[in-house]
Amino acid sequence: MGPILALSLRQLGGRWRLSITILLAALPVVIASIVRLAGADIEDHFAPDILDRMVITAILPIVTMTLATASFGNEMEDKTLSYLVLRPVPRYHLVLPKMLATVIIAGPILAISGIALVLIVGESGAQMAVAVGIGLFVGVAAYSAIFTWAGLITPHALPYALVYVFLWEGIVGGFLPAVRYLSVRGHSLAMMYGVDGTGFDRYEDLAIEFPAAIIGATIVIVGFFWLTIRRLRNMDVP
Amino acid sequence: MTNSNPIISLDEVSKWYGNVVAVNDVSLEVFQGITGLLGPNGAGKTTVMHMMAGLAAPSSGTVEVLGQSPRGDHTIYSKIGIMSEHEAVYGFYTGRSFVELAAKLYGIDPIEPAVDKAIERVGLVAAQGRKLGTYSRGMRQRMRLAATLVNDPELLILDEPLNGTDPRQRLEFHDLMRSLAAEGKSILISSHILEEVETLADRHLLMVSGKLAAAGDFRAIREELDQQPHRILIECAEPRAMASALVQSEAVDSVSVEEDGSIMVLSRKVSVLQRLVPKAAAERAIRLMRVEPLDESLESVFSYVVER
Repeated sequence: MGPILALSLRQLGGRWRLSITILLAALPVVIASIVRLAGADIEDHFAPDILDRMVITAILPIVTMTLATASFGNEMEDKTLSYLVLRPVPRYHLVLPKMLATVIIAGPILAISGIALVLIVGESGAQMAVAVGIGLFVGVAAYSAIFTWAGLITPHALPYALVYVFLWEGIVGGFLPAVRYLSVRGHSLAMMYGVDGTGFDRYEDLAIEFPAAIIGATIVIVGFFWLTIRRLRNMDVP
Repeated sequence: MTNSNPIISLDEVSKWYGNVVAVNDVSLEVFQGITGLLGPNGAGKTTVMHMMAGLAAPSSGTVEVLGQSPRGDHTIYSKIGIMSEHEAVYGFYTGRSFVELAAKLYGIDPIEPAVDKAIERVGLVAAQGRKLGTYSRGMRQRMRLAATLVNDPELLILDEPLNGTDPRQRLEFHDLMRSLAAEGKSILISSHILEEVETLADRHLLMVSGKLAAAGDFRAIREELDQQPHRILIECAEPRAMASALVQSEAVDSVSVEEDGSIMVLSRKVSVLQRLVPKAAAERAIRLMRVEPLDESLESVFSYVVER
C-alpha cells in the first residue's frame, strides 16, 4: 500500500491543487481575522455559521472533490492505471491509498483552518477545536470516498460532483430534514454538535443524532470504498 | 524444452462496445516461444491483448491465460508481464524509481538486484537516474519494458513494444526477446508493421477487422502468397511503349497504364521480370524512374489472406 500512497500523494500534491486547497482553506481564516482586527462586534454564532455556510457547505466539498476525483481520474485520463491494476495487488490495496491521499492532504489543512477560525473569533475551548477537527475530518473522509468512486465511474466526475454538492448537500438537504441522514454535511454538523453541544448549540435544529451520524458516515465511507473496489474489479481499464 | 499446451487460449471470443464490434468470434491459441500478433491499425489486436491481460472482459466467449481466467484473480499477475500500448508514464519519476515501483507492487524482496537486472537488460543503466519526462520515446518504451521484466515473468504480453524505437534499438529488442525465449519464457508481441516481428516470431496470428484471418508460420503464408500474381509498379519516360514491350513476355500476366502514367504489371515470375524490365528499357532507350513491388506491405498480405 505504501508505494501507491506515495505515488498518489505525489500526484495530488502538485502545485496548483495544493495552492487551491490552501487558498480556499485560508478564506474563512482571513474573514475571521479581518472581522477581529476591525474590532467589529462578533455575534455569538459567528464561527458555527461560517463553518456551516462556508466551510462545510462549499469549501470542504470543493477541495475534496478536486483532489479525490483526480485520484483515479488522472490515472484514467493519462492511461497509467494499467501500471497499478496489472500487478498482483488486491484491489483494496489500490483503492485505500487513493482515498487516504485525499484525506492526508485535505484533512489537516481544512482542520487547521476550522480550528484557527474558532480560535480567532474567540469562542473556543479545546472541546470546540476538537469538535471542529473531528467534524471536518469525517467530512473529508466521506467526500473522499464518494468522489474517488466518482473519478473511476466517469471522466466528467468534477461537474457531476459539483451538481451533487449543490443540489443534494445544499438545496435538498436544506428543505428535507430526512436527507441530513444521507448527507455528508449532516454528518459533519452532527459530529461537531455531538462532541461539543454547547459550542455548537447553533446546530441544534440542523444536527441529526450523534450515533446516527457515526453510523451514516461509516456507511458512506465503507459503502463507497466497497463500490470503488467493485468498480475497479469489473471495469474495462483503458 | 517446449510445452504443447497452450499458454493462452481464446474460445469464440467477441468484444463489442455499443454497436461497434471490436473483436468478432475469435478463437486462437498461443504456445511457448515467440508469437507475433499482426494486423493493421484498428484490427482488434489491442482489444484482444486487453482481454488476455484481464483489462477488458469479453462480451462473449472465454479467455484463459496460464490455465485460468485473467480477470478476478490478481495473483495471476505475479506470473505475467504486460506492457500496454499506451506510452504514458509517471513523468516525475526517474526511470529507476518507475521500475522500483513495479518491483514493490510485485512484492519482490530484495528489490535492488531485480531492478538492476531489469534495467541492465534494456540497456538503460546510464539513464536510470533521469526523470522519465526527459526520456525519448524509445527510451521510455525500454524503461517500461524493464518494469515489465522486473518480476521475471513466465509470460510476456507486449502491445506494440517497438513503437518509437530506432533500428538499432529494434535489433537490441530482438536479441533481448530471443534470449528471454531461450530462457523458456512465452512472449506475445503485437505490431502493425510486418518487418518488426516477421523474423522474430516463431508463429504468427494475423488479425483483420476484428477477426483472426490466419494463424501459423508466416513463411508458409508468404509462400502461398507467392503463388498469386505480384503487382509491380513501373514509372518510366514512355509508359505505352514500355507496356507493349512487357505484355509480350510470358512472365507477365497483365499490364495496364494508369491515369498518372505509371504502369501496373501483374506477374507470377518476378525474377524473370526483374531482368526483363531493364533490358526492355535499354533496347528502346526508355528512361526508368521507378520499379517497385507493391505486395510487400503488411496490408497487402492481410488483404490476400482475407480474400483467399
